Amino acid sequence: MNRDIFQAIADPTRRAIIALIAIQAMTPNAIAENFHTTRQAVSKHLRILTECELVTQEQKGREIYYSLEIEKMKEIDEWLEQYRKIWETRYSQLDDLLAKIKKEKEEEK
Amino acid sequence: MKPAEVSTPSDREVLVKRSFDAPVNLVWQAYTDPALMRLWLTAMPGWSMPVCEMATHVGGKYRWRWRDNENGLEFGFTGEMLEVALHSKIAHTQIYDPGDLGGSMGDEPSIITVTFNETNGITNVATSIKFASKADRDAAMSTGMTDGMEMSYKQLDGVLAG
Repeated sequence: MNRDIFQAIADPTRRAIIALIAIQAMTPNAIAENFHTTRQAVSKHLRILTECELVTQEQKGREIYYSLEIEKMKEIDEWLEQYRKIWETRYSQLDDLLAKIKKEKEEEK
Repeated sequence: MKPAEVSTPSDREVLVKRSFDAPVNLVWQAYTDPALMRLWLTAMPGWSMPVCEMATHVGGKYRWRWRDNENGLEFGFTGEMLEVALHSKIAHTQIYDPGDLGGSMGDEPSIITVTFNETNGITNVATSIKFASKADRDAAMSTGMTDGMEMSYKQLDGVLAG
């Protein structure tokens, strides 16, 4: 099944999981401790993230560790960064414009 | 003001949030008066906005077009107003007009919803861009990437020239 990467990051719990395992690889139990949710729910999120190839699993002894695929994450981040850049350029121009209008209005008084 | 926050609330939507140090009536004016819109809606250095036709009634059509002053290449957006609530909300369709710049953002219009909310003289603006399909989102993704790279190169040109 080919899942969509945007669907993966649209969910707030999955975003939180991504943030957690971005720092270090973790077992599902360790991840679940950070959430008010069941271990089953966390497993489901991990399965979706795995299907999107956003996370990889590694067996260490009896435990499975999940870690983030940084490169895959970068793809989406770069796109959002373009949005952020374009909008922030506009918004700082809007800041300047609003400051100017505000000043003009005050001077009229 | 804190920089814009960008998130993806669903697989077809991008949400941009930003606050402005001005009352909502001024922010609204900057978003709806073409003479003011021109002053801030251009996001790339060296570009101008030769066409800025705005509509503020439901069913009204708008047309925005940007031009690269250096080589005359243009692109733009057109669409129709779906909802206009004074000082609180503007929703409109948006179709990419490739002009002579090219690229595509899909066949179906996206829906843009801008909401305004003032607290203690600060206006919070949330802009939602909802794509008609995942295919359109991916098309916008590749076009947006190209524009963004173009912008970065131009800024680099500026730095190198300086």
